[in-house]
Amino acid sequence: MKTETENSNHETPAGESSWLERNVNLVIVGLIVACIGTLIAQWAYHPLFDDHHPPHFDEENIFGFQAIFGFVAFVTVVFLGRGLRLIIKREEDYYDS
Amino acid sequence: MIHSLPPGMIMIIGALLLPFLGKRLSAWGALGLSVASLGIFWTAPEFHSVPLTMLGNELNIVRIDRLSWLFGLVFHIAAITASIYALHVEDTKQHIAAMVYAGSAIAASCAGDLISLFVCWELTAVSSVFLIWASGSERAYKSGMRYLIIQVISGVLLLSGAIIHFRETGSLAFNHFLGLEFGATASIWDLGTGPQLILLAFGIKGAFPLLHNWLQDAYPEATPTGTVFLSAFTTKLAIYSLARGFYGIEELIWIGCAMTLFPIIFAVIENDLRRVLAYSLNNQLGFMVVGIGIGTELALNGTAAHAFCHIIYKALLFMSMGAVLHRVGTTKATELGGLHKSMPLTTVFCIIGGGAISGFPLLSGFISKSMIISAAGEEHMFAVWIVLLIASAGVMEHSGIKIPFFAFFAHDSGKRVKEAPWNMLLAMFIGAFLCVGLGICYSYLYNILPFHMEHDYVPYTAAHVILQLQLLLFAALAFVFLMKAKLYPAEIRSTNLDTDWFYRKLLPLMIGFGATVVGLVDKGIRLGFLATLKGILNRFSRLFSERGVLGSTWSTSSMAFWAAVLLGVCLMVYYL
Repeated sequence: MKTETENSNHETPAGESSWLERNVNLVIVGLIVACIGTLIAQWAYHPLFDDHHPPHFDEENIFGFQAIFGFVAFVTVVFLGRGLRLIIKREEDYYDS
Repeated sequence: MIHSLPPGMIMIIGALLLPFLGKRLSAWGALGLSVASLGIFWTAPEFHSVPLTMLGNELNIVRIDRLSWLFGLVFHIAAITASIYALHVEDTKQHIAAMVYAGSAIAASCAGDLISLFVCWELTAVSSVFLIWASGSERAYKSGMRYLIIQVISGVLLLSGAIIHFRETGSLAFNHFLGLEFGATASIWDLGTGPQLILLAFGIKGAFPLLHNWLQDAYPEATPTGTVFLSAFTTKLAIYSLARGFYGIEELIWIGCAMTLFPIIFAVIENDLRRVLAYSLNNQLGFMVVGIGIGTELALNGTAAHAFCHIIYKALLFMSMGAVLHRVGTTKATELGGLHKSMPLTTVFCIIGGGAISGFPLLSGFISKSMIISAAGEEHMFAVWIVLLIASAGVMEHSGIKIPFFAFFAHDSGKRVKEAPWNMLLAMFIGAFLCVGLGICYSYLYNILPFHMEHDYVPYTAAHVILQLQLLLFAALAFVFLMKAKLYPAEIRSTNLDTDWFYRKLLPLMIGFGATVVGLVDKGIRLGFLATLKGILNRFSRLFSERGVLGSTWSTSSMAFWAAVLLGVCLMVYYL
């Protein structure tokens, strides 16, 4: 495997932070604004929903259902992962030893 | 004439000539073969078949209809993109393996009978393993061996099933095994033994739950370019075959649901990002298997569309991680981070791939995955619908966020490397372009789907866009919350057990234990026999010893007495 870490051109010196790293909070605020935006959009466009996209289930009509669902499902998956790690985690060379 | 040959055949035959081009030109030769094969495929007469009588049986080595054409097309696109991605590789045997592999997958997707399918099926297995072995490590060799054994078992099951099916029905044609109408349903138990074995063969190659682990075991061990080829063909060939032979089999819905769920939990804690992508691939296959199980025209269109988009965005994601592996030498999350500073273009391509697989509007996943979810809704399958929503949030977790975040952002690993080579960037650009192109100009894809639908499916409705964005953005918000609260599991150098534990640890242990037990029993029997023999010999030696009955000196009187007794006995016998 050709590894070029050693021969790298140091255009960006190690340790120098990028715009993104300096503005993490801005990105997070942007995300929160976008999240709120989707809720407002659902509220504003709700009358149009049934015309083109008839809901298959009543749950789809609940305001913010997919928002809450996305958040809760994500957290649940991550916590299930944490639990699974307790059971199946082994040393890195487990199969080699 | 050329259209009578199976599509992809030129790649298989041409691959054998690649060594004559030399190390440098063989990569270009492979690209030329892929493009030439696409040219032949594209100019073939629309939807035809080539029957052939062999050993008294009618085979159909070429059968191109709308379903096989779609898969053949996307396989060609994948082969061309991956060939560009591999242009810098000077290892001719990798190019040969890749071309035979891609060519046989294309030929398999256009095979109209089970024997042709079997031949191509095995050829994909045997050729693709060289892409794993090409890594050159002991680990890759062992992993490739396990991969090959499992793939060959799948082929043997397919052949056995085909033979049984032939004996039962007298037909080798590869169509739906129950002749179901679209939208009708049946059970696995309605199938005969032959089709059941064939379903198992497809299930192994399609990475069904508990049969899946060859995928996560082998794909991350292949070369950076090899994994891109691997990600496109084997599993999607299984999806094509399932869609051809087993649509409407109800159990597939639940198998698919399980497939969408369990890999996302494994992906959360996996450290090797190429293995995370392998779990992600497994999860995406689940969506397609659900679509096949539902079996309506919308669901099957969704499956075909999703396979098409998936091959491209999954290849893009594997290409971005391959570029990282090529430059940094590892794809372990613990060793990476901050690469957006030195590999900005790769970062952008990876994010586009992550967005496409997550199903963000304007990207390809949005217009294909939603068809399968809608198909579940149309059939009022609430539980399936919920599972697919959970899986969608899970996809956002492992591919939308984890892959780009831990490779290119997160904590700065301090690694400063060159941007990926030009050919890798070009291939990733093509992949990203197609992800965006399919997301926006979706009608081109919808027009080539297997079924013309009465009511056109419209992906971009206000409701769909807004609700999908809600799901994804709030899932991203959950990630921010978990990171800030330090609840997100840290990346740790580790091995996580999966079903391969059974054959990598338990089976050798059981064989070792069995051998020990057999050894002990054998030793016991031999020692017992020797002890008995020794006892008998001792007894004889005692009999013939100086004091033994037969060895000691007898007195004359006792000899005369025993001689008289003997004569008496003779006399009595004579008179009797």
